[in-house]
Amino acid sequence: MKAIMIVYNQALTEKVEYMLEKLNIRGFTQWPTVFGTGTTDGEPRMGTHTWPELNSATLTIVNEDMVDTILTKVKRLDAINHEVGIRAFVWNIEKTA
Amino acid sequence: MSIYGSSVKKPITTIMVFVAIVVFGLYSLVKLPIDFYPEMELPAIMVFTQYPGANATDVERNISELLESGLNTVTNIKQVYSTSRDNVSIVTLEFEYGIDLDGAANDVRDALSFYSTYLPEDAEDPVIFKFSTNMMPILFYAITAEESYAGIEDQLEEKLVNPLKRIEGIGNISLVGVPTREISVNIDPRRMEAYNLTIEQIGNVLRAENLNMPSGIIDMGQMSYPLRIQGEFEESDQVKNIVLGNFQGKTIRVKDVATVNDSIKEMTIDEKINGRTGVRMIIQKQSGANTVKISRQVNKKLAQLETTLPADVKIATIFDTSDFITDSINNLTKTLLFAFLFVSLVVLFFLGRWRATLIIVLTIPISLIAAFIYLGISGNTINIISLSSLSIAIGMVVDDAIVVLENITKHVERGSTPREASIYATNEVWLAVIATTLTVVAVFFPMTMASGLTGEMFKQLGWIVTITVTTSTLAAISFTPMLSSKLLKLQSKRKQAGRFSHERIVVPWLDKLDNFYSKTLNWCLHHRLTVIISALAIIVVSVFLAAFFVKAEFIPSADQGQVTAEIELQAGVRVDETAKIARVIDAYIEKEIPEKDLVSTSSGYDEEAGFSALFGNSGSNVISITMSLVTVSERERSDFEIAEQLRTYLATFPEIVKYNVITGGSDMGMGGNTVDVEIYGYDFDKTTALANEMAEKIKKVEGARDVSISREKSKPELRISLDQDKMSASGLNTATVSNMIRNRVYGLTASQFRESGNEYDIVVRFDEDFRNSISDIENIAIPTQTGFIRLGEIGTVDEYWSPPNVERKRRERLVTVSATPYKVSIGEMSGNIKKEIAGIDIPDGISVEVGGAYEDMAESFADLFLLLVVGLVLVYLVMASQFESLKMPLIIMVSIPFAFTGVILALLITRISLSVIAALGAIMLIGIVVKNAIVLVDFINLLRDRDYELDDAIRSAGRSRLRPVLMTTITTILGMLPLALSTGEGSEIWKPMGISVIGGLLFSTAVTLIIVPVIYRIVVRRAERRKARETEELEFMEV
Repeated sequence: MKAIMIVYNQALTEKVEYMLEKLNIRGFTQWPTVFGTGTTDGEPRMGTHTWPELNSATLTIVNEDMVDTILTKVKRLDAINHEVGIRAFVWNIEKTA
Repeated sequence: MSIYGSSVKKPITTIMVFVAIVVFGLYSLVKLPIDFYPEMELPAIMVFTQYPGANATDVERNISELLESGLNTVTNIKQVYSTSRDNVSIVTLEFEYGIDLDGAANDVRDALSFYSTYLPEDAEDPVIFKFSTNMMPILFYAITAEESYAGIEDQLEEKLVNPLKRIEGIGNISLVGVPTREISVNIDPRRMEAYNLTIEQIGNVLRAENLNMPSGIIDMGQMSYPLRIQGEFEESDQVKNIVLGNFQGKTIRVKDVATVNDSIKEMTIDEKINGRTGVRMIIQKQSGANTVKISRQVNKKLAQLETTLPADVKIATIFDTSDFITDSINNLTKTLLFAFLFVSLVVLFFLGRWRATLIIVLTIPISLIAAFIYLGISGNTINIISLSSLSIAIGMVVDDAIVVLENITKHVERGSTPREASIYATNEVWLAVIATTLTVVAVFFPMTMASGLTGEMFKQLGWIVTITVTTSTLAAISFTPMLSSKLLKLQSKRKQAGRFSHERIVVPWLDKLDNFYSKTLNWCLHHRLTVIISALAIIVVSVFLAAFFVKAEFIPSADQGQVTAEIELQAGVRVDETAKIARVIDAYIEKEIPEKDLVSTSSGYDEEAGFSALFGNSGSNVISITMSLVTVSERERSDFEIAEQLRTYLATFPEIVKYNVITGGSDMGMGGNTVDVEIYGYDFDKTTALANEMAEKIKKVEGARDVSISREKSKPELRISLDQDKMSASGLNTATVSNMIRNRVYGLTASQFRESGNEYDIVVRFDEDFRNSISDIENIAIPTQTGFIRLGEIGTVDEYWSPPNVERKRRERLVTVSATPYKVSIGEMSGNIKKEIAGIDIPDGISVEVGGAYEDMAESFADLFLLLVVGLVLVYLVMASQFESLKMPLIIMVSIPFAFTGVILALLITRISLSVIAALGAIMLIGIVVKNAIVLVDFINLLRDRDYELDDAIRSAGRSRLRPVLMTTITTILGMLPLALSTGEGSEIWKPMGISVIGGLLFSTAVTLIIVPVIYRIVVRRAERRKARETEELEFMEV
């Protein structure tokens, strides 16, 4: 099992939801509003007057074979417009209860 | 869920909500009455007290003074003034604007009930009369007739007045100058005395004969018959054969001592309409009724009714207040449509996309229609103020929608779906949008609380702009995102733009403009001192221009196409003599004033025209001419010039003592447009002399016309003084003698002659030949126990000058010398008058003040100044909290003085005076111009937060905000342009507002774009240096 955290501009919310739905991924945890900025580039998303835009984060725990599919989709989504911004981060799940 | 989120997700609900607003608004619109001005009840109450037999000074001392001091305690009173004439005192109480007149009337009644016990016993109870602009007549008709003139009264009453009265909302219909049928029994006193008869006896006989009397019931057999004596005259001809008595065995009939005429009552008024005999019909509406609707109904009904009247009776409109109203309103509606069109075109020009334009433009009708709901609920009318307010708002309501849409488009272009972009893009800007709206509201909302005459006028403007702008903001954050989510398409950038596309034609130009501005700004940032010095120079020059060249005026007078003249001949001139002069003037007007449409002239007074007699002076020596002109577009000269021509003509008559030519019609509520010099002082002779001296001086002042003195000239009267001793020797007293004289001269109404349901007076009196000289009066025979005695034996008849009316204000006697300005502004003229009269020696105990419309004007400007200060403070408060800074608002407010410079320049170029309306335009500018600077400064701040270097931030912000600033400015300017250019009916009133806003906005925008960034740079750089010195590194990070 792998955890994938997808962090994206709020403007992509519906697309991310659509992607998860199409990939038959049911389980997820979502933070509709998160702040942050990219390590190298990308505008800060602070929800302030200066940086008005906002990010959302979706955490989903999937089987290992799904990881690559999701990452490709995310890359393609990002390719539409880099300014908007979407990133996915993967790590291991040690145990579940 | 946020408002924009919900509205995008529930488009149907959103549409329904806005459709509901539109439906409700349109419903209100249909119901709304149309009027010229908002209802401005002139808050005044008059108290009439009759004191029969007292002369003016007695009335003043015993009634006016007492009531003045008694009523002065009523709350909310602004001023008390009074006029005391022979027999009557009129005390006028002027209240503060906006008070409840009914409540005030109750207070006055309470005070009166307390003070009336102190009034003289013979004085009648005071009567309260509420004055309202509603009572001004709305329609004047001229009815002319040839053959049927004599019997016209019944015809008109029955076939015209009564049917018209059934129209809902009609208050009163009065006929002026209508010939009244009267059966006059003109006695030859010599014959009467020879037969030992008196007028009283003759009257009694007529009364006794003209009688029907039920006299009981008689039972005969099975039937009951009512018994009835039928003595009433069946024809007027019967009167002359009535038996008066026997003299030496001979039967004396009425015809033996008198001639009986069944004809028209002696007229005290002479009415001519376009030179033909006629009658004037004056129609008043009920309070709160719709002038335009009533006049439409009346005109429709009149057309029907006219056919039932005899063929020679013609009805023509002298003055229809609704014409002017409808024309002005139509004119403004056109203005509004043009504004709508212009604004749409500007939006299209900048955006270059149909759908986006449609989304933005749709907010216009929604916000404007919301204003109608307010008008409907608050019981207001559609009038020139409410419509011009809409015109003002039209350019501002699109601003918010533009900001929102721009951000949504940005997101869509970046690849978001319109639906998501709509939600998230609105989320980013909605707070900023509300903040900018607040600055506009901060300026307009205080107007709703303004007081005084100006307050009454501009309350609507304040409310309407506040409401429309608030609605537009609401629409911008709900309706606009919703529509964007539906209408905007996912943009796939076209590879090649079409040859005539927006990108190929407009965009390059806009880019060039951006570059030009960027370069200019850069230069200015490097030459800060030059910029600041030139800016200061501009302000100094404009203050100088304002002080020396801009003329002040109260409210611009509109050409209402009407000229009225009030002409006074020597006091005491007979009606027929007055009418002769009137004919001469009529002929002149007919020949020399081609612009006239209808001329109605009346000479003398109508005994029954009670209401109008309250306002104008009336008397046998007064001619009043009402001239309606053809519409503005069909003539070259203004009503002012025509009035001036009439004045020059009237000045050539030696017979004319005083004349007053007034332009315009029913704007009584607006307080006129004269400069009044008020002379306070107790001594009649001294004040009158001073008034005359001043009037002479004022006549020489440039542009002063219609210089008149309020104190009437003394009138000659014949006074009979009776000798008590001689009277009592003959068993007479003053009451019986005066009654007898009245019966002989004025006439005794003996009885009424009835014919087809109408009653006509039978009046017995001396034949005119026996009552038109002093010796005739002295010869009047008074019956006594022992025979006749001549009036000359018990008293004397003397010619006498009655004292003038006594006017008082602030509980002091007063004479007013007033003058109307012609081709000079009222402010300028009052200055000249002050200078001119400064040299006059003012005797002890007399004080002089300059007031009139000038005073109202000064008061209004003071109110406006207060409004300006409140507006400035509120705008500062809003901006300070928006920027969370005390300094930023000040930087932004630097643009305000330049707006005023722009106003001054615009007024100078167009040669328009600074009226209350233009000044209001200047105040409105505060809210509009700071908006531009806010957009700019806000973006500079933002870029600096994004770590741009100061100069870079300023340049990039300027470059990127240039288009939005230009777009909102140009929409506002073009929204106002039709207002400023309009030339039709009533345009004189709102034109100055359009011009001042456009001038101010143009100039201040141009300056704002340069000066605000420069000042920003200076202020912020300093602050930064200081900050850099003060800040220390936080300790925990130190190694």
